Amino acid sequence: MIAMLCSAGLAATPPEQLSVLADAVQEEIDRSMEQLKLPDQPGPYLVAVDLLDGDVATASASMGALVSTEHGPYRNGRVEVRVGSYELDNSNFDGGSITGGALSRPLPTDDAPGTADAVRQELWLSIDVAYKAAAETHAAKLAAREGVDAEFPPDLVPIAPLVTEPVGYVDADGARVEQVVTELSAAMASVPGMESAWAMAREWRGVRVLLSSEGHRAWLPAGFIVVRVEGQLRAPDGDLVTDGRWWVAPDWEHLQPLEVMAAEATSAASWTLAAAHRPAVDDYLGPVLFEGPAATELFRQLLAPQLSGSPPPSHGRDVFGSGVEQRPEARLGRRLLPEGWSVSDDPTADPEAAGAYAFDYEGVPARAVPLVEDGVLRGVLMSRIPRADLQASTGHGRSLGAERRVAMPAVVTVRPDKERSERQLRRKALALARQAGLDHVLVVRRIAPLATAEDGWTGDGLAPGLTPPLEAYRLYADGHTEPVRGLGFAGVDRRTLRDIAMAGHVGPLVGVMDGSPGPGRANIGTVGGLPASWAAPPVLIGELELRHCSGDEPRLIPPP
Amino acid sequence: MRRPLAGLVAVATLTASLATAAPPADDPLLDVAQAELDRLWEALATRPEPPHHLQLAIVDTLSVRVEATHGASNGVRSNHTRQGDVDIRVGTPQLDNTHQLRDATWYDEEPRPEVVLPLSADPARPTAMALWQATDEAYATAVRRLIKVRSDLSVKVASEDSSADFWPAPPRVDLGPTAGLDVDDRAWEERVRTASAAFRAWPQVHDDNVSFTAQATTTSLLTSEGTRLRTPRTWFRVSIWASTTADDGMELSVFDYLDAAGEEGLPTDLSAMASAAAERLVALRNAPVVDPFAGPAILRGRAAAVFFHEILGHRVEGHRQKDEDEGQTFTAKVGEYILPEFLSVHDDPKLERLGDLDLAGHYLYDDEGVAPQRVTVVDHGILRNFLLSRSPIDGFSASNGHGRRQTGAAPTPRQGNLLVSASSSVPYAQLRVMLKDEIRASGAPFGLVFDDISGGFTFTGRSTPNAYTVTPVTVWRVHADDRPDELVRGVDLIGTPLTTFSRIVAASDEVSVFNGTCGAESGWVPVSAAAPDLLVSQVEVQRREKAHDRPPLLPPPGAAP
Repeated sequence: MIAMLCSAGLAATPPEQLSVLADAVQEEIDRSMEQLKLPDQPGPYLVAVDLLDGDVATASASMGALVSTEHGPYRNGRVEVRVGSYELDNSNFDGGSITGGALSRPLPTDDAPGTADAVRQELWLSIDVAYKAAAETHAAKLAAREGVDAEFPPDLVPIAPLVTEPVGYVDADGARVEQVVTELSAAMASVPGMESAWAMAREWRGVRVLLSSEGHRAWLPAGFIVVRVEGQLRAPDGDLVTDGRWWVAPDWEHLQPLEVMAAEATSAASWTLAAAHRPAVDDYLGPVLFEGPAATELFRQLLAPQLSGSPPPSHGRDVFGSGVEQRPEARLGRRLLPEGWSVSDDPTADPEAAGAYAFDYEGVPARAVPLVEDGVLRGVLMSRIPRADLQASTGHGRSLGAERRVAMPAVVTVRPDKERSERQLRRKALALARQAGLDHVLVVRRIAPLATAEDGWTGDGLAPGLTPPLEAYRLYADGHTEPVRGLGFAGVDRRTLRDIAMAGHVGPLVGVMDGSPGPGRANIGTVGGLPASWAAPPVLIGELELRHCSGDEPRLIPPP
Repeated sequence: MRRPLAGLVAVATLTASLATAAPPADDPLLDVAQAELDRLWEALATRPEPPHHLQLAIVDTLSVRVEATHGASNGVRSNHTRQGDVDIRVGTPQLDNTHQLRDATWYDEEPRPEVVLPLSADPARPTAMALWQATDEAYATAVRRLIKVRSDLSVKVASEDSSADFWPAPPRVDLGPTAGLDVDDRAWEERVRTASAAFRAWPQVHDDNVSFTAQATTTSLLTSEGTRLRTPRTWFRVSIWASTTADDGMELSVFDYLDAAGEEGLPTDLSAMASAAAERLVALRNAPVVDPFAGPAILRGRAAAVFFHEILGHRVEGHRQKDEDEGQTFTAKVGEYILPEFLSVHDDPKLERLGDLDLAGHYLYDDEGVAPQRVTVVDHGILRNFLLSRSPIDGFSASNGHGRRQTGAAPTPRQGNLLVSASSSVPYAQLRVMLKDEIRASGAPFGLVFDDISGGFTFTGRSTPNAYTVTPVTVWRVHADDRPDELVRGVDLIGTPLTTFSRIVAASDEVSVFNGTCGAESGWVPVSAAAPDLLVSQVEVQRREKAHDRPPLLPPPGAAP
């Protein structure tokens, strides 16, 4: 693959170039460990720097025409300083300082002589700021725990350092990124009546170099391609009907061929056209059948927070009350799914999956984790942040920028007790609909991805909840279907998954972009976030409520 | 590498291009926009509430930025954007949707549509679609707002200003060349890298940034009145920023820059600028903090220019005379003295250069398609006129070409090149003698000289004190006796406009120019201000906000411990 890309004229960054920078970073880490100390305060017990070096190409197009394109190098240093000990340090606590001891700062992208000195100068300032923040946060945390009679888990699990050979990378293919967005938006715009046909793509190619006072010196290849296309068409009553597609792949070889993506984009546009010409529907209460793509998104949105074992940060006594003791959302023993269901995560199972990796961002080898057994949560994903009942990392520590390295799902497979055919699913769905007094059942084919749903807005407010359907239709007993539009889910949460009445065959792994569990999960941006993969079956849920959520107005002027 | 950015006619400088470059034979973008404007205008004419004015503006921007820090480059960043603006007015020129909604809250104003356009107008449809959507949304918003305007007039007391909402301008057709960039970005990368490396000799300078930016903007503007304009603008800047933390925790920075309309107007060796900035920063770091003080002062160079921009310039912007939430310091003072008799103030966006310096506030047409006029704001101390857009005010019915905006905002009257002149002046050395006389006469312990300022802001509304704050970079303490001047730090210049103007005593014969970017209701626009050094009998300074962190605990890498 590398040979093929090189022959196409793409530049490459050799490992030797980054080795020089890594040496400079390590020298600054060593100097900080030896000399950095405030009066009457402990020095750091751990200093770590993640050097993220890469080449990024991003482009967007509208109605078949390029509207923005950017291609260039990227270099960033994530600095983390810890004061105290593995048992009790400044981390996992909100308060005392803004950064808490971890910060992320752009670094010069130069490859000229002297760059290593410049990078070291930047890190000197970053480590200094991070250390002072760590000392303040550590003190604030001690103050918060003063007089609290409780057992607290350690803050960080020690691990053996990871040392690997340096690796380089091939630059992103900016021209190809431009071509993809232009052709996909053109494909969508080819359907008559489309008001907007927008596509955006990003290729990230690079390497994450882990360096720390613990002895890490690891070179982890990093890269992904994310492509999104979205179109809108206005119904005669003013409803803005939206549909879209998105793809995430580790490289061009594993991304869908352009003609396949273009056909999908056209299909999405055709759907909006069909849906726009159907009358708006009223609220719906009854069984809902989630087809493959919608089911994958359903599980991703509702299940992911239940699988991450990382405890939330604690905080001191403040206007929000005392939050010294924080309970992880993921509770072992909790029923998440019906009997017989299982969920597992294995970042190493399929190296071609978007979310696959060998080592997480903390240098911990990834391993397979059985999560749900017989519908009950029996295991959780862990980073190096332990909790009272679980200490060891499972190799799932990832996050964006300076955020805490918490456990994130990587390559998740959801398996039902029994896999039924599509025909059986539909028959059961119609039977449930009849019991509910309906002459049809609502089938949801796609729902909006969390990151693009109005900044994470769902039918129940900000996430958690479930983003609205993009493609949904009524299925009647005689087999005919009618597209519907303008519906949003209401009252959906993790308990909804217990009401799954029947499931189909588990689909293939689907690449998605996701954020760390927590309130910021939905704010990763259109092509931001970290790649993950999910495989899940289509499911039938016994009863769900969807409400009509219109509000747009018709166009006053005809289009050109 | 010397590389012209794609698809546009390259011109060396604004001034050269305007004189010599021929307009492009065809302009698909202008053609698409004109066709769409005509179609939209015709379609809207049949609506129950037809518009009386429609304007489409498209701003195509090519930019290159090269920056370095600690002697290493952050790479060359080239960018191309094309954004649009739709301005639509429904109702009548006397009363339309832009009329002020009195006592309105933030929720009463709907956002303007964002218009992101394809980088090429070939094919035409994507551009036409974007303009159509934005116009449709803007029209619906305008109709809704007009309903609220009419209600406001019925419910509230009569407005203090009875002027019309819109001045119909005669159509203007002027199709200039497109602006292009042809810069040797690799050469600039080496220059900023080298200049940034100069800071390594100054271990007390903790952080630095040296940058080169080049921007070529082509603005196309079409109106339902028949105006068709295409105007180019190129602008280049080199800038140097350096920062440190003083032992008392005060974060200090020095910013220096040079602007030019053409690349050849910039120096190619930036190391001397960097060394001078470092020297100034280190001197500031070691300077004493001055306590709050009231006494005589000289505003030197760019400090005087920015002072006038903030304190006078914003208060003579036309819309503030009409807006009943504004303080309206000068609204009723036309024909009255507001400055000493020896001072006059003009705003002249037509002026391209002053001395050796290109002026950032120069433009050929404002953002409402009106050619700017040289406006005599203050004539020998007497207020004569205001800066006006196409929204008239009582007593001033026509625009003088000052309706300006950042893309995405509605135009309002803004400054271009604000020029302060003195009919009587003295050499700077004499001004210093006069300062010492003022110190002695006032009994003040010392006087101050404000050498350079980084910026400032002013409140012009009625709900806040009508005051200003100007942030100096370099301030000198001057004694009445023969003791040498002392560099001091840690103060901001504060005051109120009428009191401060009444205390301007004298001006020097040296005029300095400030080129910068000004932010206000209609966004950020390039401006210039020029003024002589000014002696003020009394100014007031207050302590500046400061941080509390210690300076870096370790010496810089590679420095002696």
